[in-house]
Amino acid sequence: MKIIVTCCLLFLIQPIFAQSTIKGLVTDQRGQTIPGVNIYLKGTFEGTSSEIDGTYFLETEERGTHILVFQSMGFKSQEFEIDLEGKVLEINSTLKEAINEMKAVTISAGAMEASDEKKAVVLRPVDIVTVPAAMGDIIGAFQTLPGTSNVGNDGRLFVRGGDASETSIFIDGLKVGNAFGTTASNVPTRTRFNPNLFKGSFFSTGGYSAEYGQALSSALVLNTVDFPVRNQGDISLMSVGGGYTQTLAGEKSSLTASANYFDLSPYQSLIKQNFDWERAPFGWDAEISARQKWGKSGVVKAYLHTESNGMKIWQPVPGSEDRGQLVGVKNNYTFGQASFKQLGKNDWSYYGGVSYSNNVDQFNLDPLQVRNQNQVLHSKAVAIKGFSDRFSIKTGLESYLYTYEEQLLSEGLSRDYQDHHSVLFTEADYYVSNKLILRGGLRAGNSSLAKQTWLDPRVSIAFKFDHDGQLSLAAGQFSQMPVEQLRILDQSLHNTRADHLILNYFLSKNGRTVRAEAFYKDYKKLLTYEVAQLFPMPIGFDNIQQNGEGYARGWDIFYRDQKSFKNTDFWVTYSFVDSQRKFAHFTEMVQPGFAPRHNGSVVIKHFIQPLQSQLGVSFSINDGYTYDNPNLPGQMKSKTKSFQDLSLGWSYLPKPNLIIHLACSNVLGRDNIFGYQYANVANEKGVFEENPIRLQAPRFLFLGIFLTLSKDKTANNLNNL
Amino acid sequence: MKKYSLAIIAMMLISFFTHASNEAYVKAMQKELQAMGSAQSPEDLQKVANGFARIATMAPEEWLPEYYAGLALANAGFRSQGGIEEKDTFFEKAKKHAEKAASISPDNSEIVALQGFITMGELAADPNSRGQHLSAQAMQTFNKAVNLNRKNPRAVVMLAQMELGMAQFFGQGPEKACGLVETALDMFEKEENKENNDPFAPKWGKDMALQMKGACS
Repeated sequence: MKIIVTCCLLFLIQPIFAQSTIKGLVTDQRGQTIPGVNIYLKGTFEGTSSEIDGTYFLETEERGTHILVFQSMGFKSQEFEIDLEGKVLEINSTLKEAINEMKAVTISAGAMEASDEKKAVVLRPVDIVTVPAAMGDIIGAFQTLPGTSNVGNDGRLFVRGGDASETSIFIDGLKVGNAFGTTASNVPTRTRFNPNLFKGSFFSTGGYSAEYGQALSSALVLNTVDFPVRNQGDISLMSVGGGYTQTLAGEKSSLTASANYFDLSPYQSLIKQNFDWERAPFGWDAEISARQKWGKSGVVKAYLHTESNGMKIWQPVPGSEDRGQLVGVKNNYTFGQASFKQLGKNDWSYYGGVSYSNNVDQFNLDPLQVRNQNQVLHSKAVAIKGFSDRFSIKTGLESYLYTYEEQLLSEGLSRDYQDHHSVLFTEADYYVSNKLILRGGLRAGNSSLAKQTWLDPRVSIAFKFDHDGQLSLAAGQFSQMPVEQLRILDQSLHNTRADHLILNYFLSKNGRTVRAEAFYKDYKKLLTYEVAQLFPMPIGFDNIQQNGEGYARGWDIFYRDQKSFKNTDFWVTYSFVDSQRKFAHFTEMVQPGFAPRHNGSVVIKHFIQPLQSQLGVSFSINDGYTYDNPNLPGQMKSKTKSFQDLSLGWSYLPKPNLIIHLACSNVLGRDNIFGYQYANVANEKGVFEENPIRLQAPRFLFLGIFLTLSKDKTANNLNNL
Repeated sequence: MKKYSLAIIAMMLISFFTHASNEAYVKAMQKELQAMGSAQSPEDLQKVANGFARIATMAPEEWLPEYYAGLALANAGFRSQGGIEEKDTFFEKAKKHAEKAASISPDNSEIVALQGFITMGELAADPNSRGQHLSAQAMQTFNKAVNLNRKNPRAVVMLAQMELGMAQFFGQGPEKACGLVETALDMFEKEENKENNDPFAPKWGKDMALQMKGACS
């Protein structure tokens, strides 16, 4: 009996005496102490946390063999097998950092992101609609970013000495053919897509990923909104038209449909125009997009956009006093796509889709009637495998089918071609640490029409400093087939080529962003030709060759500040471009008309709380456009005066669901000139007479009223972003 | 008979063990909740969150440990004196715990309200550039929480807070927001007087309502 009692007592008493103590220090690989680490015995409730100085202290009544775990976000967990025998154990832990998407370096060479989700961003989606000079066009906002030049008589994106065809646009990773509206020469165009459709964008001015190709200068990747938050109807009434959008949002699926109409006639009858319009631009568009969640982690999106528009304009003929040449443009356009995303098992993920663009242009150049049809069918499938948190490989297969047809309706003539590209790309990302990333990619393609196979290697490296700034270097080869209008004349034309080298510094901290970049771009195999007539549009190409070449080099800087002045957000950009190329009908190296040397812009947005208004100011300036004056010796030796534009915008939110937006471009009414057009033949005095290329009107005035109808009265148009 | 005794002993043993682990759970939860009540600094709150995270690994079928780990980290984010990045790190961790809680207990008004609270914290970290986007999202989340449980005072009071901010922004009267505050205070009172079958059910948020009531009168 006594023995039993003693045993029982021992049994009871033992734990009290058997308290073990574990203590030590937690540091990272560089010897810095880590506070707040969760330290515990696996399979028990026993645990503690490290102090601010990295030390910890754990007392436990547990006995025997246990596993001691060190766990902290941003580090790999560490485990020790320990024997608890009622003694003091000292265990120091050195935690290895885990690759953390939030903190890790990103490759920022050439890249500018607009996103709400990531950190290395230059713009927020909302900025795109509130830059006054942009007038609601996505491209207008990008023209205030470094590396772009403002070519006001064209309206498209011109990147670092490249022409507009050198930029390729993608929606959810799929190619968009003819993303800009068709227009007459020197009448600026806009993108066809509503900025509210996108939640973010990735704009690369060079050195971009092997995932994208057929663009010598630049890739613009737009990502559509995933899931709208609520049912709502959006009404827009503008000085140039109006539209309605209805959104139906469910838990697993959503549907958005919209229709818009615009006609510039009423506006142009009120405000005097420089251009001689026979019929002001008009048109309509309709679009529908649907999204469906699929399984646990999959998303399927479908989008269809269709539109029709037209215009008729008298274009003055140099040296003639009458109305000139009547140019009629009629355009029908459809873009449709379906895409999917799916997370797989074992760190596999997949995405891909199919897109189709069909663009039909009809030009009426009395007496000529021309019809051009351009179709692009793009399909893509990509798989990503993460081998560890440090190493991943992305591989994709793509097919592009290009069909182009030209018809001379008035003569009953037609010609066409079809080209199929098969593309295989692969790209590996390796994080040496949170501070250093290496990326290597290869893009291989084959064209059935050109009977050419090519291989474009791309590499980049980025390093993040302790002060959070990062330095990136990117280099690569980029290939692009010549424009359709020339390929149809010579179907054996091969890729034109550009090699990029980019060095970038990027720092974004506490509401301030600095981005500086230097670049060198080398062009090869550019097209040169002879042309019978340049005005009103180039006709009669001859002797097409691919022995053109050129370069663009320079640097640019961007500073954005949302902190220094209360309720004020501003950014300042300066880009220097030195570009020379032998191309088109030039027989020597010239500075292209679309590549001004000095480009600057300032955008200021100030919120005035008592007025519930945002005031926006943007100012753009460059040192003028080169142009070719046939009356002077040499090629492209003349330059226009400096381009300057001051635009103002006023957004007023009188009620949560109502926005009134008023904007005016070129408030000062400066007579900007983008170049001169010359007569095809000299007059009796031997002089080629000229006409300046101007803006369509000194100012453009925009008034828009945007009303959102929803059960949630606080919703407005901007919430979609 | 012997068979029965064995079965009874087995059952007793099982209930003893589950009771033991349940007791440990209760003790651990009580300890951490107490620590949370007295925690002031973000560092203290991180420790509390660690404590809840440890309980969560031991009781993976319970949503409350994950919920409180998320709440402690969200509070740490609100109280952090550091820059946007430091705050975001807390909110990022908080989100992970809230997501885990939601996967254990889907369509739970308290968890949805916590998710909205985290969004509110991210908004407060950088209102200039996140205001437009996140205020809509926070509003939406609180509405969802209210719809899931119309008697959740935390969802109501945070919705009131968003409404008040919106009303101030548009120069409108605070009537709607203040009405919601009164409703929330009623609910808090009922919550206090009600015997809850889960002793660890969320009870926080009344001070927020009282503070807002001060602004209303």
